[in-house]
Amino acid sequence: MQASVRIQTEDFSQDEEIAALKGSSKRMGGIGTFLGCARDFSEGREVEQISFDAYGSMALSEMQKLRSDAIAKFDLLDARIVHRIGTVRGGDNIVLIAAGAEHRVAALEACRWMIDELKQRVPIWKKETTPLGDDWVTPHP
Amino acid sequence: MIKVLFFGPIAAASGARELSIAHSPGMTLGHLKNMLAAAHPEAMRLAVMLAVNGEHARDLAMPLSDNSEVAFMAKFSGG
Repeated sequence: MQASVRIQTEDFSQDEEIAALKGSSKRMGGIGTFLGCARDFSEGREVEQISFDAYGSMALSEMQKLRSDAIAKFDLLDARIVHRIGTVRGGDNIVLIAAGAEHRVAALEACRWMIDELKQRVPIWKKETTPLGDDWVTPHP
Repeated sequence: MIKVLFFGPIAAASGARELSIAHSPGMTLGHLKNMLAAAHPEAMRLAVMLAVNGEHARDLAMPLSDNSEVAFMAKFSGG
């Protein structure tokens, strides 16, 4: 089985990640997921591709801490975080967060919390390539 | 030596991903930041977050030991 927290260039399978999450406990009654995808349009212009840069070792360490923090904070049974780097195009997967808990509220709240925290804590940057040139993205709230 | 790391927009603005800066006794994170700001003013204006040896660092008075790895980072935009 693949690690619960990963940074990788290749695509991931939501089905495989959820199966791995479910496989960790039969007490799991709810799974919340967030799938972040690449958009082909942003800030009023076409986006041809998005490239990600990361401080790899720190990003992985921060994502592992984030998972542990979420498990403790929301009493999760398990959680998984996978983020792609490299280059993606419109419609491609970027990030998957999955939180498994005994009940739905904890799973959904933990999932929302993890993606919000990831954006604040994990050193990854995205650059959009457009017909007008390349732009490093200014974070959205 | 201090290993300085730049990523994403800061690497693009500075034209470098990694620099080696001579360590000196009593050197702090703030000293290093000022040195880099003088050499790469445009890039360092983007540096709103710092990390020392892979951990977030906010105290510019933090002393740096020789062979530290220091990252100057723009606001994150992952996810």
